[in-house]
Amino acid sequence: MKTQGAQIVTVTNGFERLVHWSLALSCIVLFLTGLAMMFHTLNALSMLTGGMYNLKQIHNYSGIVFAVSLFIAIPMWWAEAGRFEEGDRQWISALGGYIGHSKHVPEAGKYNAGQKLFFLAVVVFGLCMVVSGTVMWLQAKFDLSLVRWMYALHALGFTVIFAFFFVHLYLATIGVPGSASAMLTGKTTYAWLKTNHGKWLKELEKTGLIKTNTKK
Amino acid sequence: MSNMELVKMIDLSRCTACRGCQVACKQWNELPASKTKNWGSYQNPADLEWNTWTLIRFQEYVDAKGRFKWLFRKDGCMHCTDAACVKVCPTQALYHTEFGTVAFDPERCIGCKDCIPACPFNIPRFNEQTKKIGKCDLCLSRLRANKPPACVLSCPTGALSIGPKAEMIEKAYKRAKALGEGASVYGDKFVGGTHVIYVLPEPVSAYPGLPENPSVPLPIILWKDVLKPASVIAGGGVLAAAFLHYILHGPKRPVEDTQEGGSEI
Repeated sequence: MKTQGAQIVTVTNGFERLVHWSLALSCIVLFLTGLAMMFHTLNALSMLTGGMYNLKQIHNYSGIVFAVSLFIAIPMWWAEAGRFEEGDRQWISALGGYIGHSKHVPEAGKYNAGQKLFFLAVVVFGLCMVVSGTVMWLQAKFDLSLVRWMYALHALGFTVIFAFFFVHLYLATIGVPGSASAMLTGKTTYAWLKTNHGKWLKELEKTGLIKTNTKK
Repeated sequence: MSNMELVKMIDLSRCTACRGCQVACKQWNELPASKTKNWGSYQNPADLEWNTWTLIRFQEYVDAKGRFKWLFRKDGCMHCTDAACVKVCPTQALYHTEFGTVAFDPERCIGCKDCIPACPFNIPRFNEQTKKIGKCDLCLSRLRANKPPACVLSCPTGALSIGPKAEMIEKAYKRAKALGEGASVYGDKFVGGTHVIYVLPEPVSAYPGLPENPSVPLPIILWKDVLKPASVIAGGGVLAAAFLHYILHGPKRPVEDTQEGGSEI
Protein backbone atom coordinates (compact mmCIF):
# COMPACT_ATOMS: atom_id res chain seq x y z
CA MET A 1 0.00 0.00 0.00
CA LYS A 2 1.37 3.37 -0.96
CA THR A 3 1.02 6.45 1.18
CA GLN A 4 -1.68 8.87 0.27
CA GLY A 5 0.98 11.38 -0.81
CA ALA A 6 2.19 8.98 -3.39
CA GLN A 7 -1.31 8.06 -4.53
CA ILE A 8 -1.65 8.50 -8.25
CA VAL A 9 -4.43 10.62 -9.68
CA THR A 10 -5.27 10.88 -13.39
CA VAL A 11 -5.64 14.56 -14.32
CA THR A 12 -5.68 14.60 -18.13
CA ASN A 13 -7.12 12.22 -20.70
CA GLY A 14 -5.34 10.91 -23.75
CA PHE A 15 -7.09 13.23 -26.15
CA GLU A 16 -6.11 16.28 -24.12
CA ARG A 17 -2.50 15.17 -24.15
CA LEU A 18 -2.61 14.56 -27.89
CA VAL A 19 -3.99 18.06 -28.55
CA HIS A 20 -1.52 19.59 -26.11
CA TRP A 21 1.47 18.02 -27.82
CA SER A 22 0.20 18.69 -31.28
CA LEU A 23 -0.08 22.35 -30.31
CA ALA A 24 3.24 22.38 -28.45
CA LEU A 25 5.33 20.58 -31.05
CA SER A 26 3.91 22.53 -33.98
CA CYS A 27 4.57 25.68 -31.96
CA ILE A 28 8.20 24.69 -31.37
CA VAL A 29 8.69 23.90 -35.07
CA LEU A 30 7.14 27.28 -35.89
CA PHE A 31 9.46 28.99 -33.40
CA LEU A 32 12.58 27.38 -34.84
CA THR A 33 11.70 27.91 -38.47
CA GLY A 34 10.38 31.40 -37.76
CA LEU A 35 13.56 32.36 -35.91
CA ALA A 36 15.60 30.95 -38.79
CA MET A 37 13.81 33.38 -41.11
CA MET A 38 13.88 36.29 -38.68
CA PHE A 39 17.63 36.20 -38.02
CA HIS A 40 20.08 35.78 -40.87
CA THR A 41 22.56 34.08 -38.55
CA LEU A 42 19.93 31.43 -37.81
CA ASN A 43 19.57 30.69 -41.55
CA ALA A 44 22.07 28.02 -40.55
CA LEU A 45 19.17 25.97 -39.10
CA SER A 46 18.12 25.34 -42.70
CA MET A 47 20.93 22.80 -42.99
CA LEU A 48 18.49 20.49 -41.18
CA THR A 49 15.76 21.04 -43.74
CA GLY A 50 17.73 21.05 -46.97
CA GLY A 51 17.60 24.77 -47.50
CA MET A 52 15.56 27.82 -46.66
CA TYR A 53 12.84 27.04 -49.20
CA ASN A 54 11.97 23.80 -47.42
CA LEU A 55 12.25 25.53 -44.06
CA LYS A 56 9.69 28.07 -45.21
CA GLN A 57 7.34 25.31 -46.42
CA ILE A 58 7.70 23.52 -43.07
CA HIS A 59 6.83 26.80 -41.33
CA ASN A 60 3.68 27.26 -43.43
CA TYR A 61 2.38 23.71 -43.06
CA SER A 62 3.23 23.51 -39.35
CA GLY A 63 1.06 26.60 -39.14
CA ILE A 64 -1.87 24.52 -40.39
CA VAL A 65 -1.19 21.85 -37.73
CA PHE A 66 -1.01 24.62 -35.12
CA ALA A 67 -4.27 26.19 -36.32
CA VAL A 68 -6.18 22.89 -36.29
CA SER A 69 -4.81 22.03 -32.83
CA LEU A 70 -5.77 25.47 -31.58
CA PHE A 71 -9.30 25.19 -32.93
CA ILE A 72 -9.69 21.89 -31.06
CA ALA A 73 -7.99 23.18 -27.91
CA ILE A 74 -10.09 26.32 -27.48
CA PRO A 75 -13.51 24.66 -26.99
CA MET A 76 -11.92 21.72 -25.17
CA TRP A 77 -10.29 23.80 -22.43
CA TRP A 78 -12.45 26.94 -22.49
CA ALA A 79 -14.80 25.97 -19.66
CA GLU A 80 -11.95 25.03 -17.33
CA ALA A 81 -9.20 27.47 -18.32
CA GLY A 82 -10.91 30.26 -20.22
CA ARG A 83 -12.98 31.72 -17.42
CA PHE A 84 -11.80 33.37 -14.23
CA GLU A 85 -13.46 32.57 -10.94
CA GLU A 86 -13.40 33.54 -7.31
CA GLY A 87 -9.90 33.57 -5.91
CA ASP A 88 -8.18 34.13 -9.27
CA ARG A 89 -7.74 37.83 -8.60
CA GLN A 90 -6.04 37.14 -5.26
CA TRP A 91 -3.96 34.42 -6.88
CA ILE A 92 -2.65 36.92 -9.42
CA SER A 93 -1.99 39.66 -6.87
CA ALA A 94 -0.02 37.13 -4.80
CA LEU A 95 1.79 36.16 -8.06
CA GLY A 96 0.77 32.60 -7.30
CA GLY A 97 3.28 32.57 -4.47
CA TYR A 98 6.06 32.07 -7.02
CA ILE A 99 7.70 35.41 -6.34
CA GLY A 100 8.12 36.45 -2.75
CA HIS A 101 6.74 34.04 -0.20
CA SER A 102 3.17 35.20 0.03
CA LYS A 103 1.20 33.02 2.43
CA HIS A 104 -2.12 34.28 1.16
CA VAL A 105 -2.26 32.35 -2.07
CA PRO A 106 -5.75 30.97 -2.54
CA GLU A 107 -5.93 27.31 -3.45
CA ALA A 108 -6.25 26.86 -7.19
CA GLY A 109 -8.90 24.98 -9.09
CA LYS A 110 -8.07 22.64 -11.99
CA TYR A 111 -6.18 25.52 -13.57
CA ASN A 112 -4.68 28.33 -11.55
CA ALA A 113 -5.05 31.95 -12.67
CA GLY A 114 -1.57 31.94 -14.20
CA GLN A 115 -2.38 28.91 -16.30
CA LYS A 116 -5.61 30.62 -17.36
CA LEU A 117 -3.68 33.71 -18.40
CA PHE A 118 -1.34 31.53 -20.43
CA PHE A 119 -4.26 29.73 -22.04
CA LEU A 120 -5.95 33.02 -22.93
CA ALA A 121 -2.69 34.42 -24.32
CA VAL A 122 -2.34 31.34 -26.51
CA VAL A 123 -5.97 31.67 -27.63
CA VAL A 124 -5.82 35.39 -28.43
CA PHE A 125 -2.33 35.58 -29.88
CA GLY A 126 -2.52 32.10 -31.40
CA LEU A 127 -5.57 33.25 -33.34
CA CYS A 128 -3.64 36.41 -34.29
CA MET A 129 -0.87 34.18 -35.65
CA VAL A 130 -3.31 32.02 -37.62
CA VAL A 131 -5.08 35.03 -39.13
CA SER A 132 -1.94 37.03 -39.89
CA GLY A 133 -0.10 33.98 -41.18
CA THR A 134 -2.96 33.15 -43.53
CA VAL A 135 -3.04 36.70 -44.90
CA MET A 136 0.74 36.70 -45.36
CA TRP A 137 0.60 33.34 -47.13
CA LEU A 138 -2.25 34.34 -49.47
CA GLN A 139 -1.27 38.01 -49.62
CA ALA A 140 -2.22 38.63 -53.26
CA LYS A 141 -5.89 38.23 -52.27
CA PHE A 142 -5.78 40.99 -49.65
CA ASP A 143 -5.46 44.75 -49.43
CA LEU A 144 -1.85 45.97 -49.35
CA SER A 145 -2.00 47.92 -46.11
CA LEU A 146 -3.80 45.04 -44.37
CA VAL A 147 -1.03 42.67 -45.50
CA ARG A 148 1.62 45.04 -44.13
CA TRP A 149 -0.08 45.24 -40.72
CA MET A 150 -0.42 41.47 -40.60
CA TYR A 151 3.39 41.22 -40.65
CA ALA A 152 3.55 43.48 -37.59
CA LEU A 153 0.79 41.48 -35.89
CA HIS A 154 2.64 38.23 -36.63
CA ALA A 155 5.73 39.66 -34.95
CA LEU A 156 3.69 40.87 -31.96
CA GLY A 157 2.01 37.49 -31.52
CA PHE A 158 5.39 35.80 -31.67
CA THR A 159 6.84 38.12 -29.04
CA VAL A 160 4.00 37.37 -26.59
CA ILE A 161 3.81 33.61 -27.20
CA PHE A 162 7.60 33.24 -27.17
CA ALA A 163 7.84 34.88 -23.72
CA PHE A 164 4.87 32.92 -22.30
CA PHE A 165 6.32 29.72 -23.76
CA PHE A 166 9.36 29.86 -21.49
CA VAL A 167 7.23 30.66 -18.44
CA HIS A 168 5.13 27.60 -19.24
CA LEU A 169 8.16 25.44 -19.94
CA TYR A 170 9.82 26.35 -16.65
CA LEU A 171 6.74 26.02 -14.42
CA ALA A 172 5.66 22.76 -16.06
CA THR A 173 9.05 21.12 -15.55
CA ILE A 174 11.75 22.01 -13.04
CA GLY A 175 9.90 25.01 -11.57
CA VAL A 176 7.10 22.86 -10.18
CA PRO A 177 8.43 19.31 -9.97
CA GLY A 178 5.82 16.65 -10.60
CA SER A 179 3.91 18.73 -13.18
CA ALA A 180 5.27 17.33 -16.41
CA SER A 181 3.78 13.89 -15.84
CA ALA A 182 0.31 15.46 -16.05
CA MET A 183 0.90 15.95 -19.77
CA LEU A 184 3.09 12.89 -20.34
CA THR A 185 1.31 10.01 -18.63
CA GLY A 186 -1.68 12.06 -17.49
CA LYS A 187 -1.00 11.19 -13.86
CA THR A 188 0.15 13.21 -10.89
CA THR A 189 0.59 12.39 -7.26
CA TYR A 190 -2.02 13.20 -4.67
CA ALA A 191 0.55 15.38 -2.88
CA TRP A 192 1.28 17.36 -6.05
CA LEU A 193 -2.43 17.91 -6.59
CA LYS A 194 -2.98 18.99 -2.99
CA THR A 195 -0.07 21.43 -3.17
CA ASN A 196 -0.88 22.94 -6.53
CA HIS A 197 -4.60 22.50 -7.15
CA GLY A 198 -6.09 22.14 -3.67
CA LYS A 199 -9.47 23.54 -4.53
CA TRP A 200 -9.92 21.17 -7.44
CA LEU A 201 -8.84 18.23 -5.31
CA LYS A 202 -11.53 19.10 -2.76
CA GLU A 203 -14.12 19.25 -5.54
CA LEU A 204 -13.01 15.87 -6.83
CA GLU A 205 -13.21 14.40 -3.35
CA LYS A 206 -16.62 15.92 -2.75
CA THR A 207 -18.01 14.47 -5.95
CA GLY A 208 -16.40 11.16 -5.18
CA LEU A 209 -14.21 11.15 -8.23
CA ILE A 210 -11.22 10.65 -6.00
CA LYS A 211 -11.37 8.35 -3.03
CA THR A 212 -9.00 9.27 -0.30
CA ASN A 213 -7.69 6.49 1.82
CA THR A 214 -7.30 8.40 5.03
CA LYS A 215 -9.75 6.08 6.78
CA LYS A 216 -9.06 2.52 6.01
CA MET B 1 32.69 53.71 -61.93
CA SER B 2 33.55 50.78 -59.68
CA ASN B 3 33.13 50.88 -55.91
CA MET B 4 31.38 54.17 -55.64
CA GLU B 5 27.80 55.09 -54.94
CA LEU B 6 26.05 55.42 -58.27
CA VAL B 7 22.81 57.10 -59.19
CA LYS B 8 20.80 56.57 -62.35
CA MET B 9 18.93 59.68 -63.42
CA ILE B 10 15.69 59.44 -65.39
CA ASP B 11 14.92 62.76 -67.04
CA LEU B 12 11.27 62.28 -67.98
CA SER B 13 11.27 65.53 -69.97
CA ARG B 14 13.52 63.79 -72.48
CA CYS B 15 11.71 60.45 -72.63
CA THR B 16 9.95 59.75 -75.93
CA ALA B 17 8.58 56.39 -74.80
CA CYS B 18 10.48 54.50 -77.48
CA ARG B 19 10.77 51.68 -74.96
CA GLY B 20 14.27 50.80 -76.10
CA CYS B 21 15.16 50.48 -72.42
CA GLN B 22 12.45 47.86 -71.93
CA VAL B 23 13.84 45.76 -74.78
CA ALA B 24 17.48 46.26 -73.79
CA CYS B 25 16.64 45.20 -70.23
CA LYS B 26 15.05 41.97 -71.44
CA GLN B 27 17.94 41.30 -73.76
CA TRP B 28 20.75 41.77 -71.24
CA ASN B 29 18.95 40.01 -68.41
CA GLU B 30 17.67 37.20 -70.68
CA LEU B 31 14.06 37.79 -69.70
CA PRO B 32 11.43 36.25 -71.96
CA ALA B 33 8.69 38.39 -73.49
CA SER B 34 5.12 37.89 -72.31
CA LYS B 35 2.26 37.28 -74.66
CA THR B 36 0.08 40.37 -74.22
CA LYS B 37 -3.23 41.66 -75.52
CA ASN B 38 -3.97 45.17 -76.71
CA TRP B 39 -5.70 46.83 -73.79
CA GLY B 40 -5.97 50.23 -75.38
CA SER B 41 -2.62 51.62 -74.40
CA TYR B 42 0.93 51.68 -75.71
CA GLN B 43 1.89 50.62 -72.19
CA ASN B 44 2.84 47.04 -72.87
CA PRO B 45 2.83 44.83 -70.87
CA ALA B 46 0.25 46.54 -68.70
CA ASP B 47 2.33 46.27 -65.54
CA LEU B 48 5.72 45.23 -64.25
CA GLU B 49 6.19 41.46 -64.26
CA TRP B 50 8.77 39.00 -62.91
CA ASN B 51 10.23 39.16 -66.43
CA THR B 52 9.61 42.87 -67.02
CA TRP B 53 11.86 44.80 -64.67
CA THR B 54 11.33 48.16 -66.31
CA LEU B 55 8.24 49.50 -68.02
CA ILE B 56 7.29 52.78 -69.68
CA ARG B 57 3.98 53.90 -68.19
CA PHE B 58 1.77 56.05 -70.42
CA GLN B 59 -0.48 58.66 -68.86
CA GLU B 60 -2.81 61.21 -70.35
CA TYR B 61 -2.78 64.32 -68.22
CA VAL B 62 -4.31 67.79 -68.18
CA ASP B 63 -2.10 70.25 -66.32
CA ALA B 64 -3.12 73.18 -64.09
CA LYS B 65 -3.43 75.46 -67.12
CA GLY B 66 -5.72 73.06 -68.94
CA ARG B 67 -3.07 71.87 -71.37
CA PHE B 68 -3.33 68.26 -72.46
CA LYS B 69 -0.15 66.25 -72.04
CA TRP B 70 0.98 62.72 -72.70
CA LEU B 71 3.29 61.66 -69.87
CA PHE B 72 5.76 58.82 -69.98
CA ARG B 73 7.39 57.33 -66.89
CA LYS B 74 10.02 54.63 -66.81
CA ASP B 75 8.98 52.50 -63.83
CA GLY B 76 11.29 50.09 -62.04
CA CYS B 77 13.27 49.53 -58.87
CA MET B 78 14.36 52.79 -57.20
CA HIS B 79 17.30 51.13 -55.39
CA CYS B 80 16.61 52.67 -51.97
CA THR B 81 19.34 53.28 -49.43
CA ASP B 82 16.92 52.38 -46.64
CA ALA B 83 15.44 49.54 -48.64
CA ALA B 84 12.40 47.86 -47.05
CA CYS B 85 12.88 44.78 -49.25
CA VAL B 86 16.42 44.27 -47.95
CA LYS B 87 15.15 44.81 -44.42
CA VAL B 88 12.53 42.06 -44.65
CA CYS B 89 14.27 39.51 -46.89
CA PRO B 90 14.88 36.47 -44.64
CA THR B 91 17.67 35.00 -46.76
CA GLN B 92 19.61 38.06 -47.94
CA ALA B 93 18.52 37.27 -51.49
CA LEU B 94 17.98 41.03 -51.71
CA TYR B 95 21.10 42.90 -50.71
CA HIS B 96 22.97 46.16 -51.07
CA THR B 97 25.87 46.23 -53.48
CA GLU B 98 29.10 48.21 -53.41
CA PHE B 99 27.32 50.74 -55.64
CA GLY B 100 24.53 51.33 -53.13
CA THR B 101 22.07 49.58 -55.44
CA VAL B 102 19.80 46.70 -54.39
CA ALA B 103 20.68 43.48 -56.15
CA PHE B 104 18.89 40.15 -56.14
CA ASP B 105 20.30 36.64 -55.86
CA PRO B 106 17.71 34.18 -57.22
CA GLU B 107 19.64 31.25 -55.73
CA ARG B 108 18.83 32.52 -52.24
CA CYS B 109 15.20 33.54 -52.89
CA ILE B 110 12.67 31.24 -51.20
CA GLY B 111 9.57 32.87 -52.63
CA CYS B 112 8.25 34.07 -49.28
CA LYS B 113 6.98 37.28 -50.91
CA ASP B 114 7.81 39.35 -47.81
CA CYS B 115 9.43 41.97 -50.09
CA ILE B 116 6.28 42.50 -52.15
CA PRO B 117 4.14 44.34 -49.58
CA ALA B 118 7.23 45.87 -47.94
CA CYS B 119 8.27 47.83 -51.05
CA PRO B 120 6.93 51.41 -51.00
CA PHE B 121 7.19 51.53 -54.82
CA ASN B 122 5.35 48.27 -55.59
CA ILE B 123 8.26 46.79 -57.54
CA PRO B 124 8.99 43.08 -56.82
CA ARG B 125 6.95 40.61 -58.82
CA PHE B 126 6.47 36.89 -58.16
CA ASN B 127 7.12 34.14 -60.69
CA GLU B 128 4.62 31.34 -60.06
CA GLN B 129 6.73 28.85 -62.02
CA THR B 130 10.10 29.36 -60.34
CA LYS B 131 8.57 30.50 -57.01
CA LYS B 132 10.99 33.41 -56.96
CA ILE B 133 10.61 37.14 -57.28
CA GLY B 134 12.08 39.27 -60.04
CA LYS B 135 13.20 42.89 -60.08
CA CYS B 136 15.81 45.21 -61.58
CA ASP B 137 19.35 44.89 -60.20
CA LEU B 138 20.54 47.91 -62.17
CA CYS B 139 22.58 45.47 -64.30
CA LEU B 140 24.99 44.61 -61.50
CA SER B 141 27.05 42.44 -63.86
CA ARG B 142 27.51 45.44 -66.17
CA LEU B 143 28.28 47.89 -63.37
CA ARG B 144 31.00 45.53 -62.14
CA ALA B 145 32.43 45.48 -65.66
CA ASN B 146 32.48 49.28 -65.59
CA LYS B 147 29.65 49.53 -68.10
CA PRO B 148 26.35 51.41 -67.87
CA PRO B 149 23.13 49.43 -67.31
CA ALA B 150 21.53 48.13 -70.52
CA CYS B 151 18.66 50.64 -70.28
CA VAL B 152 21.05 53.59 -70.02
CA LEU B 153 23.12 52.32 -72.95
CA SER B 154 20.04 51.91 -75.12
CA CYS B 155 18.46 55.31 -74.43
CA PRO B 156 18.63 57.41 -77.64
CA THR B 157 17.53 60.74 -76.16
CA GLY B 158 19.69 61.09 -73.09
CA ALA B 159 16.75 60.63 -70.74
CA LEU B 160 18.78 58.00 -68.92
CA SER B 161 22.24 58.56 -67.49
CA ILE B 162 24.30 57.13 -64.65
CA GLY B 163 27.21 58.41 -62.62
CA PRO B 164 28.56 59.23 -59.15
CA LYS B 165 25.78 60.11 -56.71
CA ALA B 166 26.65 63.73 -55.92
CA GLU B 167 27.31 64.52 -59.56
CA MET B 168 24.00 63.06 -60.71
CA ILE B 169 21.95 64.80 -58.02
CA GLU B 170 23.55 68.11 -58.98
CA LYS B 171 22.83 67.41 -62.63
CA ALA B 172 19.20 66.56 -61.83
CA TYR B 173 18.63 69.79 -59.91
CA LYS B 174 20.22 71.79 -62.70
CA ARG B 175 17.95 70.12 -65.22
CA ALA B 176 14.83 70.66 -63.07
CA LYS B 177 15.76 74.32 -62.71
CA ALA B 178 16.21 74.64 -66.45
CA LEU B 179 12.79 73.06 -67.02
CA GLY B 180 11.27 75.46 -64.52
CA GLU B 181 7.50 75.68 -63.99
CA GLY B 182 6.70 72.86 -61.53
CA ALA B 183 9.56 70.54 -62.51
CA SER B 184 11.16 68.68 -59.60
CA VAL B 185 13.74 66.11 -58.60
CA TYR B 186 12.30 62.93 -57.11
CA GLY B 187 14.23 60.38 -55.06
CA ASP B 188 17.14 61.97 -53.25
CA LYS B 189 15.07 63.11 -50.26
CA PHE B 190 13.43 59.90 -49.00
CA VAL B 191 14.20 56.31 -47.95
CA GLY B 192 17.75 57.45 -47.33
CA GLY B 193 18.02 58.60 -50.94
CA THR B 194 17.23 56.35 -53.87
CA HIS B 195 19.85 55.32 -56.40
CA VAL B 196 17.41 56.00 -59.21
CA ILE B 197 16.17 59.58 -59.34
CA TYR B 198 13.63 61.23 -61.58
CA VAL B 199 13.51 64.67 -63.06
CA LEU B 200 9.74 65.17 -63.19
CA PRO B 201 8.48 67.87 -65.53
CA GLU B 202 5.03 67.64 -63.89
CA PRO B 203 3.97 67.40 -60.22
CA VAL B 204 4.43 64.00 -58.56
CA SER B 205 0.65 63.56 -58.37
CA ALA B 206 0.48 63.56 -62.19
CA TYR B 207 2.24 60.18 -62.27
CA PRO B 208 0.02 57.30 -61.10
CA GLY B 209 1.80 54.78 -58.91
CA LEU B 210 4.48 57.23 -57.85
CA PRO B 211 4.04 57.85 -54.11
CA GLU B 212 4.24 61.48 -52.95
CA ASN B 213 6.27 60.70 -49.87
CA PRO B 214 7.50 57.10 -49.94
CA SER B 215 8.90 55.54 -46.78
CA VAL B 216 9.54 52.15 -45.24
CA PRO B 217 5.99 51.22 -44.15
CA LEU B 218 5.34 51.71 -40.40
CA PRO B 219 4.33 48.08 -39.77
CA ILE B 220 7.61 46.96 -41.34
CA ILE B 221 9.54 49.25 -38.98
CA LEU B 222 7.52 47.94 -36.00
CA TRP B 223 8.24 44.40 -37.10
CA LYS B 224 11.95 44.63 -37.79
CA ASP B 225 13.15 47.46 -35.53
CA VAL B 226 10.85 47.10 -32.51
CA LEU B 227 9.22 43.68 -32.19
CA LYS B 228 12.16 41.64 -33.47
CA PRO B 229 14.55 42.86 -30.74
CA ALA B 230 11.65 42.90 -28.23
CA SER B 231 10.96 39.21 -28.82
CA VAL B 232 14.55 38.28 -28.01
CA ILE B 233 14.55 40.48 -24.91
CA ALA B 234 11.21 39.03 -23.77
CA GLY B 235 12.16 35.40 -24.37
CA GLY B 236 15.65 35.81 -22.99
CA GLY B 237 14.35 37.80 -20.03
CA VAL B 238 11.90 35.07 -19.08
CA LEU B 239 14.61 32.40 -19.37
CA ALA B 240 16.92 34.45 -17.16
CA ALA B 241 14.13 35.10 -14.66
CA ALA B 242 13.27 31.38 -14.56
CA PHE B 243 16.90 30.50 -13.90
CA LEU B 244 17.16 33.08 -11.12
CA HIS B 245 13.88 31.84 -9.65
CA TYR B 246 15.20 28.31 -9.58
CA ILE B 247 18.51 29.12 -7.90
CA LEU B 248 17.29 31.85 -5.52
CA HIS B 249 13.68 31.03 -4.67
CA GLY B 250 13.74 27.37 -5.50
CA PRO B 251 11.15 25.17 -7.18
CA LYS B 252 7.73 24.60 -5.71
CA ARG B 253 7.84 21.00 -4.57
CA PRO B 254 4.72 19.11 -3.52
CA VAL B 255 4.26 18.93 0.22
CA GLU B 256 4.36 15.22 0.94
CA ASP B 257 1.32 14.37 2.98
CA THR B 258 2.59 11.26 4.65
CA GLN B 259 1.19 11.93 8.13
CA GLU B 260 -2.46 11.66 7.17
CA GLY B 261 -2.01 8.76 4.89
CA GLY B 262 -0.13 6.60 7.36
CA SER B 263 3.41 5.44 7.12
CA GLU B 264 3.08 1.98 5.66
CA ILE B 265 4.51 1.48 2.21
